Amino acid sequence: MPTITISKDDISRLLGKEISLEELDELILYAKGEIDGVDGDLIKVDQKDTNRPDLWSTEGIVRQLRGTLGVESGMPNYEIIKSDINIYVDPLLKDVRPCCVNAVVKGLDIDEAFLSQIIQLQEKIALTFGRKRREVAVGIIDFDKITPPIYYKATKPDENAFIPLAFEKPLTPRDILERHPKGKEYRHLVDKSEIYPILVDSDGVVLTMPPIINSEHTGKVTTETKNIFIDVTGFNIETLKTALNVIVSAFAERGGKVYSVTVNYPDESISVPDMTPVTFSIEKQYICSTLGIDLDNSDIIRLLGNMRYDATIKDETISVTYLPYRKDIMHASDVIEDICIAYGYNNILPETPTLYTIGRQLPISRKLLIARELMIGLGFQEIVSFTLSNNEALFGKMRLSRPDDIVEIENPVAVSWSVLRNWLTPSLMAFLSKNTHHDYPQNLFEVSEVVSTDENKETMVDSRYKLAFSICHSQANYTKAREVLDSFMLNTGISYCVETDTHPSFLDGRIGKIMVNGKERGIIGEIHPEVIENWGIESPIAIVEFELEKILE
Amino acid sequence: MNVSDNSSIINNLSNDEKLLLKRLIAIKNEKATVTELEDKDMPSVAINRAALGLESKRLITIKESLKKRIIITKEGKSLKKSVPEREVGEKIVSSGCKVVFLDDLGIDKRVVGIAMGWLRKREWAIVSKEDGKIKVSLTEKGIKELSSPSWIQEILSKVEKECVYLDEGISSEQYSILKGRKAVDIREEKERYLELEVRGREIAPEELLVHKKISQLTAELLRNNKWRDCEFKRFDVSLPVKRIYPGKKQPYLAFLDDLRSTLVALGFQEMRGPLIETEFWNFDALFQPQNHPARDWTDTYRLIHPKKGHLIDEGVVQAVKAAHESSWKYMWGPEKARNLMPRAHGTCLSARQLQMGIEVPGKYFSIARCFRPDVLDKTHLIEFNQIEGIICDPSLNFKNLLGVLKQFAIEIAGAKDVRFYPDYYPFTEPSVQMSAKHPELGWVEFGGAGIFRKELTEPLDVSIPVIAWGLGVDRLAMFKLEIDDIRFLFSDDIVWLRDEAMI
Repeated sequence: MPTITISKDDISRLLGKEISLEELDELILYAKGEIDGVDGDLIKVDQKDTNRPDLWSTEGIVRQLRGTLGVESGMPNYEIIKSDINIYVDPLLKDVRPCCVNAVVKGLDIDEAFLSQIIQLQEKIALTFGRKRREVAVGIIDFDKITPPIYYKATKPDENAFIPLAFEKPLTPRDILERHPKGKEYRHLVDKSEIYPILVDSDGVVLTMPPIINSEHTGKVTTETKNIFIDVTGFNIETLKTALNVIVSAFAERGGKVYSVTVNYPDESISVPDMTPVTFSIEKQYICSTLGIDLDNSDIIRLLGNMRYDATIKDETISVTYLPYRKDIMHASDVIEDICIAYGYNNILPETPTLYTIGRQLPISRKLLIARELMIGLGFQEIVSFTLSNNEALFGKMRLSRPDDIVEIENPVAVSWSVLRNWLTPSLMAFLSKNTHHDYPQNLFEVSEVVSTDENKETMVDSRYKLAFSICHSQANYTKAREVLDSFMLNTGISYCVETDTHPSFLDGRIGKIMVNGKERGIIGEIHPEVIENWGIESPIAIVEFELEKILE
Repeated sequence: MNVSDNSSIINNLSNDEKLLLKRLIAIKNEKATVTELEDKDMPSVAINRAALGLESKRLITIKESLKKRIIITKEGKSLKKSVPEREVGEKIVSSGCKVVFLDDLGIDKRVVGIAMGWLRKREWAIVSKEDGKIKVSLTEKGIKELSSPSWIQEILSKVEKECVYLDEGISSEQYSILKGRKAVDIREEKERYLELEVRGREIAPEELLVHKKISQLTAELLRNNKWRDCEFKRFDVSLPVKRIYPGKKQPYLAFLDDLRSTLVALGFQEMRGPLIETEFWNFDALFQPQNHPARDWTDTYRLIHPKKGHLIDEGVVQAVKAAHESSWKYMWGPEKARNLMPRAHGTCLSARQLQMGIEVPGKYFSIARCFRPDVLDKTHLIEFNQIEGIICDPSLNFKNLLGVLKQFAIEIAGAKDVRFYPDYYPFTEPSVQMSAKHPELGWVEFGGAGIFRKELTEPLDVSIPVIAWGLGVDRLAMFKLEIDDIRFLFSDDIVWLRDEAMI
């Protein structure tokens, strides 16, 4: 979820009403935000809805708060003034970055707070909504420094050199990708082809090289800037239109006058921004039954107005209209949530459903609990450890080579947590190695899930519960472990036998495989002295590990 | 005093007390000093302790008397070596004559004077002068006594070695002789003696059964009925003992076991699913579009090996694809959905349950181990548990969801108050976040919940409302276990595990 910074003074000024921090803390919930930190006038807000970029700015929050506070109600009135500004899209960009939508906003009075919001909104849209600029990149250009019409065109890497932001000398597009910090960061978005997208004006001045960098000359917005040109580029025209609507709506909240731009594709021309209201119908009964509260028509109209919808009711059907800076409304439930937010979650009296159902734990849960209690009865301390482990612990220290059926993480946070364990014994060893200075005997057990690959499974992985126990004290040996195993099996009613085996982690001649119903289900033995040494332990250890879930089936 | 009184007195006597009492009763005059009573079976320390016990039970009295102990003096020590009159007398006897002239004997002149005086005084000889020479003639008494051992030396050596009291091993006459010769002196000493009281006298010695002292009751003692003759050594029950360690549940698992019981008691059925999931169940079936920030709702792990799982139910896959494509407006692809990952939340279990089929009404839960790429520290785990749950019924609404959440906060967390906040999850609408006011922790974020979106339930062939939640239990467990470091939930510290109280 995006985190944004807003200014309390700025909010108060836009609302025309002094807002205290306490009030804001409460009010911000209506804009799906939560205050995360305060630094003087600046407030950090977590915006929870990743699908509502219209709320990721002071302007968007203020739009909602005007509704919540009753300063305004219903759909905002953002006028799109028709203009004859044209932009022409080069068909060569079809496989590079085919789409572009634009707008011009005039009459802006930009102060520092406003400027920081412009930059922040542009960044957040590109980062989160635009998937790190891949789907959506936003450029904001000083309109007074360019001459329409504008051309969104393909350039060869060594043509159309321009001075990128924060540089002093012109660089070719190729140089920008190689030398400019933003070029290096985002080159993977364009460098698959031998042409790059740029915007140039009718004088051949380069505005920007999307999605990489604006030009220093035209692409630097300051508090002196009055009129701006917005370019939004990407792949999906609907997504771009939403992003453009979010941006121009924010400027409109600040009193900017929004002018349309005609985008000329080879086969069609569209006029953007397209602020045509969207209409949606909901049955009143559905609203009430979803929320479990009785609302009359006027309540519903008022609550929708607070959430910046226009609404009318006819024959118990509510017709809801909203502006397309929102793209998140896919179902009536999205509007119902807004009604609920306006009503106030904490104004709803919680009501526990009185449904008669029978509670049941899984049969395996009951069996696992019995097995654990049996081990406790045999005097063993239960432990629980992480499923994530590493090759060194699971195999290296255990004198094993890594088998092929291991489940491994591609993006581990640390190497020590990079492999999902396939057996529990190393976890017991790790535990013992951490407690060498405490009282012995240390008799431990763990019942946990282990995983290994299994081509017959839907997820190619078999995860199931195993049981492992360790006996560790100066007299620990095979016989002592066998006594416990014997008692465990007897008391769970499982007939088993132990057959001679060899295993690199265990001492030869003191190791056996546990057979249940003719299948190998586990291992019992004295840990090999070298393994004990590898873990830095100075006491003999006898261990039993078996497929608990499989033998309990 | 009747028998039962006696037997209750006797039962309260220790072995030593019985022994001592027995000895005192055996003595005729019913009193004796500690010295008289002590022997190797009962040293004076034991006697004194037993005497105090008997006295406190008013069976005897401890008394003290003064005794006159004879002490040998310096003169006495030299007298013990040599008695002058005996030395002279023996010389006369060995000369063979009864009458001798002193000069002829050649005796040290220093001794002669003293010896002459005592020969006369003890009537051992008659001393006269003849021709200016001293003539000594032994008397019959002298001859007789000189032939028997010297009582003076005998007594003195006894006094030197042992305790000799006046009238005990030395008569008043002997004492006054020795005292006259400055050989001895008297020192007064206190002596403790024990005297039977009336109550003590009434006890018959045969009642005083003295038992063998033992520390461990054995099978043999029981078998032979010998334990009846034994006295059990009294233990100091206040002393500390060596610590032993029981088999014990891991505290966090014990907490989760309780949680499972509570949920079953509330009418929930348990669900289970694989630790490794396909993205299909972790994301796609939960209406999280493949190429959208909503997919980044949480950071997740990916696998190197194995990489791809299977999409089993083609009908569900097509329905999910259709829901994604019509609502999110993009081309849904099965390849991404086949990617494998350790499950990032428990909600995939609910989706699987919906697909497998549900009872109506139905309540389901799971305590699900989940994985997210966090760095392990005081407040973050690399693996954690989530209580995932759903309730399915045509009558359910948002108000019911809040009711269930509140019930959980009270039943599970012991919360006193709850607050609800708008929240966002791609798979629920409306969505809600609950904070619960804990008596000691204050307001704690408890988890997210909502009504499953139709775009989620319909492809899984469920057409009734499903309310769902995924609550974090770790912070709650931390509170219950009184720890401020979340790593203790998976503790590798045996001391903590051993010390942690279970109730």
